[in-house]
Amino acid sequence: MFLRLLYQSFRRQQRRKLLAGIAVMLGVAVATAMIAVGVDVGDKINRELRAYGANIVVYPEDAALSVRVGDQEVKPASPGAHLKESSLPSIKGIFWGHNILAFAPFLETEVPTQSGTLRVIGTYFDKQLRFGTEEFSTGVEKLYPWWKVQGRWPTDSGTDGLVGSQLASRIGKHVGDSIDLLGVPVRISGILSTGSAEDNAIVASLALTQQLAHAPDAVDKIYVSALTKPEDAFARRDPDRMTSADRDRWYCSPYANSVAYQLREIFPGAHAEQIRQATQNEGTVLSHISGMMLLIAIASLIAAALAVSAAMATTVLERRQEVGLMKSLGATEPAIASLFVCEAALLALCAGILGFLLGDAIAQRIGQAIFHTGIVITPVLLPMVIFLALLVTIAGSAVAIRRALKLDPVLVLRGDA
Amino acid sequence: MSVRASMFFHVLERGLLGRGNRPLIAFIALTVASTMITAMLSLYYGLENKLNRDFRSYGANVTLAAPDGQTLPTDVVSRAHSILGPDAIVAPFAFAIAHTTGGEAVVVAGTEIPQIQRLDTWWSVSRWPNNGDEALVGVRVESHLGINQGSFDLDFAGRKLHVKNFGTVKTGSEEEDRVYIPLSTFESWTEIGPSLLEISAPGSRDQITTAISQLQLAFPGVQVRPVRQLLQAQGAVVSRMRSVMLASTLLIALTVALCVFSTLTSSVLERRRDFAVMKAIGSSQVTVNALFAGEALTIALCAALTGYILGSGIAAWISQANFHAVVMPQLSVLPLVILADVALALLAATVPLARLQRIEPAGILKGE
Repeated sequence: MFLRLLYQSFRRQQRRKLLAGIAVMLGVAVATAMIAVGVDVGDKINRELRAYGANIVVYPEDAALSVRVGDQEVKPASPGAHLKESSLPSIKGIFWGHNILAFAPFLETEVPTQSGTLRVIGTYFDKQLRFGTEEFSTGVEKLYPWWKVQGRWPTDSGTDGLVGSQLASRIGKHVGDSIDLLGVPVRISGILSTGSAEDNAIVASLALTQQLAHAPDAVDKIYVSALTKPEDAFARRDPDRMTSADRDRWYCSPYANSVAYQLREIFPGAHAEQIRQATQNEGTVLSHISGMMLLIAIASLIAAALAVSAAMATTVLERRQEVGLMKSLGATEPAIASLFVCEAALLALCAGILGFLLGDAIAQRIGQAIFHTGIVITPVLLPMVIFLALLVTIAGSAVAIRRALKLDPVLVLRGDA
Repeated sequence: MSVRASMFFHVLERGLLGRGNRPLIAFIALTVASTMITAMLSLYYGLENKLNRDFRSYGANVTLAAPDGQTLPTDVVSRAHSILGPDAIVAPFAFAIAHTTGGEAVVVAGTEIPQIQRLDTWWSVSRWPNNGDEALVGVRVESHLGINQGSFDLDFAGRKLHVKNFGTVKTGSEEEDRVYIPLSTFESWTEIGPSLLEISAPGSRDQITTAISQLQLAFPGVQVRPVRQLLQAQGAVVSRMRSVMLASTLLIALTVALCVFSTLTSSVLERRRDFAVMKAIGSSQVTVNALFAGEALTIALCAALTGYILGSGIAAWISQANFHAVVMPQLSVLPLVILADVALALLAATVPLARLQRIEPAGILKGE
C-alpha cells in the first residue's frame, strides 16, 4: 500500500514533482559548481601568479658578489664557481618535480666587439630536455611570459640571438642584421624588451655563450618557477633540526623552502633560495582569494538550502487536502509523515545526481571561460552533495509536513483552512 | 480622498497587517534575497580595490632611473609625490662601489630606510638601522666579506665611513649583494645623489599605466618604466577574480530568486478565496491586480531596505575578516537591489494571478 501510494504520487502529480525536482536540481547544481570552483580557484590563481616569473634561484655556494652599478662593474679577482648544465634535467626528478612549471639557466660573459664590450647572456629559450622517459621543454619563453620579442624567438641550437631594445638603438642594429662575436656571426632574430638589465645585453643560446666564454657545461644561475604553498610557521623551520616524522612532512609539502632544499640535493655545493618578493607576496594574495572563495561557497550553500527548502515547503502545503483525506481515512500521522519523507528523499536523490552533473557542467564552463582550463572536481564531492541535498530536502519538508498534520481534516476538506 | 481610494488603502493595509504570517514570510524571503544580492555585489565592487592593494605588497611597480652616470634632480621625490598623491610610496636610491678594509669591492646603496620598510615588506631583516651610522648588510655580503658582529669600515675614493652597527637582509635576490645605509649619510660621504626612484603607485593596472605617462611627461630626461612582471600578474589575477565573482554573484542571485519566487507564488495562491470574494462583490480586475501589486511592492521595498543594511553589514564583516580592511556600504548597489526585489515580487504575483483569472470566482468559493 505504502509503495503504491509512493508510486501513484509520482505518477499523478508529475508537474508538481517536476517543479520541486527542478528546484532541488538547481540548488544542488549551484552548490556543486561554487564548491568546485572555490576549491580549484586557488590552484588556478597560483598558476596565474607564476606569470610573475621565477620564485626560486639556484647559484653556486661561493659565487662572487655581483658588484655592478649601471655600466660600472668591478670584476672579482678569481672567476666564480659554476653549476653543471648536465645536471639540469634532474630538476624534474625531485620530489615536487611536477610542481616545477619552468626553469631557465643563465650564464653571463662579456665579449669585445667593434661597438665596445657587450654583455652576452646565455639561456634556454624553449629547450627540449629529457629526464628518464619524460620529455619536456623549458626556458625563458615559459619562465618569463612578460618578455616581449619583436621579431622571432631564436632556437636553442643555432647562432641566432636577441638584442636588448636599448642596446639595439645604441649600436644601431635591427632584426635580420648580424653581430660578429669573437668570429661567430650572430644573426639578430628579434629585439628584446624586458624593462630590466636584459634590455642592455645580447641574449643568446646557452651553448653559444658557453663557447664564447670558454666555459663548457657551465651555468651561473638557475631560475626556477614552482607551484608552491603559502609559507607558514612550519615551513620556516630548519629541516635539519626536526624529528624524522616532522622532517618527512616538511619535505613532502610543496613549500618554497622544501622545493629549494630538494634542488640543493641535486646541485651539491649550490645554494637554493626562495625569491622572497615572489613567494611571500604570493602567499598573501592566494590566502585572501581562497578565503573569499570559501565564504562565497558557504553563501551559495545557504542560498541553495533556502531555495530547496522553500520549494519543498510549497509542494507539501499544496497537498493539505490529500493529508486531510488520508487522516480522515484513518492513516496515522507517522505513516503520512514517512510517505512524505520518502517522497522527498527519492526526489533529492534523483534531482541531486542530475544537479551534480549540471553543476559539474557549469563549473567546467566557468573554468573554460575564465581560466581556459577545466575545473578539477573531486569525486568525494558527489556523496557529500547528495547527502546535503537529502538533508536539506527532508528538513525543508519537515516543517511543512508538521503544519499540514496539525490541521483539522474536516476544515481542510471543506476548504476553510 | 474618494471612498474608492480609501477603501483600496484600507484593504491593502488589512492585507499587510491583518491576519496571519503570510506577509511576514514574503518579507523574510525577499529580505534574504536582497541581503545575499547586496553582500555579493558589495564584495564584487570592493574586490578589485582589495586585490590591487594586495599587489602593492610586491613593492615597487614603477621605476624611475636617471641615464647612466647622472643623478636625478634634487626635488624629484616631492614632485613625484605631488603627481601620484600621498598614498604612493617613493624610495630614492643612490649607488656607489666602495671597498672594505680588506680591499674587496661592494655595492653600497643610500636610501631612505623608513620608505624601504613600507615598500619592501617581504625583506627578511634582522634589525632595521635607526641611526645615521648604522647599516643594513645583505647576507651574502656578510658571509663573503667576513664582517661579523659590530662595526666595519668602508672606503670610497679615499674617504672613510665607519659603520657602527648593522642588521642583515635576506631576500633571495640582488639585495643580498649590497650594503644599505641612510641616504643622508651616503650623500655626505660620497657626494653622489640618488639615481633611481622605486615607486609603488596605488590603483589598478590602467591607473598605474596612466601614472607612468604622467611621470614621463614631468621628467623628460629620465627613464620611467613599469615593473612589467608585476603589472602583468596583477592584471591577470584581478580580471580573472572579477569574472569568478561575477559568475558566483549571478549563480547565487539566481538560486535566491528561485527560492523567493516559489515562496511568493504559493502565498498568492493561498489567497485565492480573498481574490474570489473581491470579484464576487463586484471589484474590477484592475483593482484586484492593483491591490496585489501594491502589497507586493510595499513588502518588496521594505525588504530591499532591510536586506541592503544587512547585506552591507555582512560584506563589511567578510572583508574585515578576510582582507582586514573596511568596505564602505556601496550606495550604487541600493537601486539595483530595490529593482531586483520589486521585479521579483511583481513577477511572483503575476504568474499565479494570471492563473486565477481564468477561474470563475464561484468555483473557488465552492472549494473546487
